[in-house]
Amino acid sequence: MASVLQNSPAKPVARASGYSLKYIFGVIVLLGVIGFVMFNSFQSNAVYYYTLSELYAQQNELIGRTLRVNASLDKASIVNDQKNLILKFNLIEGEHALPVVYRGVAPDTMSSGESVVAEGKLDGSGVFQADSILVKCPSKYEKSPEQY
Amino acid sequence: MALSQIAEIGNLTLVLGLVVSLYLIFAAIFSQRKQRPEFLVSVKHGVWVIAGLTTLAVFILEWALLTHQFRFEYVASHVSRDQPVLYTVSALWGGQEGSLLFWVWLLSLFSAAVLIQHFGQRNPLVPWVIAFMAFTQAFFFALLVFITGPFTLLAQTPADGIGLNPLLQDPGMFIHPVTQYLGYVGFTVPFAFALAALVTGDLGYEWIRVTRRWALFAWLFLSLGLLFGMRWAYVELGWGGYWGWDPVENAALIPWLTGTAYLHSIMIQEKRGMLKVWNLALIMLTFLLCILGTFITRSGVIQSVHAFGVSSMGPLFLAYIAAALVIFTYLMYRRLDQLQEENRLDSFWSREATFLLNNLILLGAAVATLWGTIFPMLSEIIAGKQITVAAPFFNQVNGPIFLALIVLMGVCTMIGWRHASPRHLLRNFIPPAAVALSAALALALLSVRDLYGLIAFTAAAFVLTTVLLEFYRGIRARMRMYRENILVAPAQLVNKNRRRYGGYITHLGVILAVIGIVGSTFFQTDIQKNIAPGETVSLGRYTLQFEKLKMTQEGNAQVIGADLSVFENGVLVDTLRPIKAYYAAADQMTTEVAVRTTALEDLYIILAGWNDDGSATLKVIINPLVVWLWIGFGVFVLGALIAMLPDPREAQAVERVRAEKALVGASSATAP
Repeated sequence: MASVLQNSPAKPVARASGYSLKYIFGVIVLLGVIGFVMFNSFQSNAVYYYTLSELYAQQNELIGRTLRVNASLDKASIVNDQKNLILKFNLIEGEHALPVVYRGVAPDTMSSGESVVAEGKLDGSGVFQADSILVKCPSKYEKSPEQY
Repeated sequence: MALSQIAEIGNLTLVLGLVVSLYLIFAAIFSQRKQRPEFLVSVKHGVWVIAGLTTLAVFILEWALLTHQFRFEYVASHVSRDQPVLYTVSALWGGQEGSLLFWVWLLSLFSAAVLIQHFGQRNPLVPWVIAFMAFTQAFFFALLVFITGPFTLLAQTPADGIGLNPLLQDPGMFIHPVTQYLGYVGFTVPFAFALAALVTGDLGYEWIRVTRRWALFAWLFLSLGLLFGMRWAYVELGWGGYWGWDPVENAALIPWLTGTAYLHSIMIQEKRGMLKVWNLALIMLTFLLCILGTFITRSGVIQSVHAFGVSSMGPLFLAYIAAALVIFTYLMYRRLDQLQEENRLDSFWSREATFLLNNLILLGAAVATLWGTIFPMLSEIIAGKQITVAAPFFNQVNGPIFLALIVLMGVCTMIGWRHASPRHLLRNFIPPAAVALSAALALALLSVRDLYGLIAFTAAAFVLTTVLLEFYRGIRARMRMYRENILVAPAQLVNKNRRRYGGYITHLGVILAVIGIVGSTFFQTDIQKNIAPGETVSLGRYTLQFEKLKMTQEGNAQVIGADLSVFENGVLVDTLRPIKAYYAAADQMTTEVAVRTTALEDLYIILAGWNDDGSATLKVIINPLVVWLWIGFGVFVLGALIAMLPDPREAQAVERVRAEKALVGASSATAP
């Protein structure tokens, strides 16, 4: 290895392929580590999107797993308990209606929302306990904050 | 002049812009390939013409916005009568059509700037640079002409417009898109020069030297874009943070990461003639990521691929990116034999090696972030099922990567070029390591218990010491050698080597920002409480007394605010008023937080809601050290500006190269 590293005076210009195995090995190890960390935390953090009909088709298997649902917001169903910061509403799709509970500050756009993406877990009683909600507004608002 | 005629003129500028850009591509290439320099004159004129046309188009649109010409669809959907003038101006870049026009306008101004920069010189790279920039202009003109035009008229004139999204009516959002776009567009110039270098075969350091300042300029504005975006999120979105790993945020961060790698690795090519292929690849990646960033931001494609089908912008953007990628990669492949390294790495223990490592780490962060950002789109296309990852993924992956990067920043400063002696390195290593360990110990004694936070602070202390030591040594040397006093020596130290010390000041800014980020990420505390007037809520040293709810009309919004008295350790120190504002025109509510900033922490208060009985629900957050994030950014910008200043050393080096070239030219002329 050492001889590879020393430039002989007769040939001062190294070839591109002249990097020793040691460096290539180092690079591979580094990329491997980054790749491993990436793969690993991807596995544990990947969240699947479900429509309501998909959700109800596999309801029993999905209980307790973190997932995202995306469906229309039933505005009439919104109950916002501001004192205790508990927001309840129903998501609807066809004949399905999913009750959602979110504990936290209700988004400013809630009352004018058209559909909602909720991330959280379905509990045993069929209520979706959301950790985060994202309200999508009618298209006249072209510019939802997420688009900036 | 009738409104429809003005709209026609607007459309005409865009069509003409497209035609002239296409001519420029042809004429610039023709002049070089067929040795027809007379075409070059028309190319130069063409650049001015496009700059004039885009300026006219911007002028027309801005006029329409400011004078409320609601028959323009763009005006009707981005301006309302009661909107402040500031945000009527910024509506130009507040929507899709306007911001694409803004993009091409900046690009045409940059083309003109390149011409001015090389005025009177016969730089063989410039025609190719113009050709590529015209290609990019043609692409954006095509989008504006065929897909999404800013001068579309409505059948009838509405009485009032919808107005700019209230969330964007914030000074931060006035400036953020401008800086972001200056950064995105700015990287076109170094990329175009790289492409020109590949075409002409002039693959030395010239293209990098000519564009080093352009790259720094673009990178500085990408940084400012990040800063203003974060600041806006912090004060306007009202969730207590400034970074949520949102796709649009990531789209701005990724080219910044590769751009940072590029700015470091070109130093290796400059000093040692190494990493030539790597640098070309990096500038290509950075530029394409800037285009991708524009696309992601403008199309909303990440939320759902369905947005992709709604307008044909998506396929066109992909086609442009693919075209640039294929052309550049092909040219690079053809020139591979000319891209040999002039030197090889002498040792692991050298500054080159740490730069290489820094490049790999930055690229790793960029790849991981890109992967997490576009995966939902990929999974929906391939598997028909959207799979997303959120903040935890990005934090888990990028956290350790950034920590390694910070430590490396310190090591890199201590280590010499080529081959450092381990003994020397060890001697340099001891003082900062000692400071870092004492800092860790002190923090632990101050009952800082979060392990990750502790590790990150220790790393920051380590790097801070290495940078400060570097300044200390330099200043001491100058005071001894030149007998300068304590005020002159630091100024002269920076002045005499602006690139090096500008770089160190930038590093200093990064470390300060890291301290702010670590403090506010790992040591944030919060409380939520519903309180009636007269009641209090306490967090840390602070006690907030809720006085009353107050409703007012402010500009185009109805505002409801909670008047709060702030007591620190029982002493009244401030009054704050977190508010919610309702914008009737847009039927939208926005939250405006109240923040009390000190060097140690931010007291950050959100009015979460109110009730008919006069009580209010407050969310109170303490964000430790967050002000250092903004201060760090300031220092960072200062460092980057210093590194951009004309450097006497550089001028000397250029003179030397010119003289050598002239000498070689003279000898070869006399040889036959």
